[in-house]
Amino acid sequence: MVPSQEAILAIIFQALTNLNLERDASSQVPLDVDTALFGGASALDSLALVSVISDVEMAVSDAVGEPISLTDDQALSQQVSPFTSVRTLCAYVLQLTHERA
Amino acid sequence: MPGEVYSGRVALITGSSRGVGRLISEHLLLHGATVLGFGRGEATYQHERYRHFQADIADPNQVLQAFMAVRREFPALHIVVNNAAVLTSQYALIMAASAAKSMVDTNLLGAFLVSREAAKLMRKEKWGRIINISSMAVSLEPMGDTMYAACKAGLTVMGNIMAKEFAPFGITVNTLAISAIETDMLRQLPQETIQEVIGGLPLPRPAQPEDILNVIDFFASGRSSYITAQTLYLGGVH
Repeated sequence: MVPSQEAILAIIFQALTNLNLERDASSQVPLDVDTALFGGASALDSLALVSVISDVEMAVSDAVGEPISLTDDQALSQQVSPFTSVRTLCAYVLQLTHERA
Repeated sequence: MPGEVYSGRVALITGSSRGVGRLISEHLLLHGATVLGFGRGEATYQHERYRHFQADIADPNQVLQAFMAVRREFPALHIVVNNAAVLTSQYALIMAASAAKSMVDTNLLGAFLVSREAAKLMRKEKWGRIINISSMAVSLEPMGDTMYAACKAGLTVMGNIMAKEFAPFGITVNTLAISAIETDMLRQLPQETIQEVIGGLPLPRPAQPEDILNVIDFFASGRSSYITAQTLYLGGVH
């Protein structure tokens, strides 16, 4: 089953929500497609980013019913890092799940 | 030990069908845990709180599939014992590459994959105990055990680094290096070799099940939240 863009966004936002539960009120990560995940504009440190990727990877795998890796060589070879923002991550997951279908 | 100290805990044991894995599995079941067993073959015993998952941990895809099945049934995972191992004892000069690779794939990569996937589940609970089963071969460095001992030494290093990475999630990672105990794996070694090894220990006797279970209980305890990145050798080896 290929999840819709909306379903993937919901997964990513849930991962960010999980992260926000661990952060204080002043450092909440906005649930927005333009939220930066990686790079200078991101509010996430490396551990937070790893946590989000891990949650998304697990939830997407469960949704499609087969293991999906978001951090293999394919991810690293993308012109724009999939982890730049919520939007790029969503697009990359959508691409991966369509390739698998 | 008192009653059902593991009640409410979900524990995953690799190589749970026999030997040390079965010993630990039955111990945790006896004291109230729900035990998820990973093994290449089918379950070798039944219990109302035992759930067997057939998976070869040397195969990354099988590990991922098994964990997907685990997540469908169990929202939480508290304890992992990386016990599964294969052993080919052979002089390095004539060790087949396939046998060497098999040990790396199961004894090291398999433990890595299981720990990684387990930590993803443990992170949600902010609590976890990962226990790697190593061997006195790391310290004794016996001839014939080049790859086996190297893999087991790797477990300690791997565990120590995971201990740092997983600490923010309340997960501890420790290693138990066991001395000779009567198992199918040990029976592969010549009797005189076993006696020689045991005779050289500060405590010159084979390990008893209670010796192993005592340390498992210690590492798995809620009271051991400040114990991580440690390797404990049984029998006085160091």
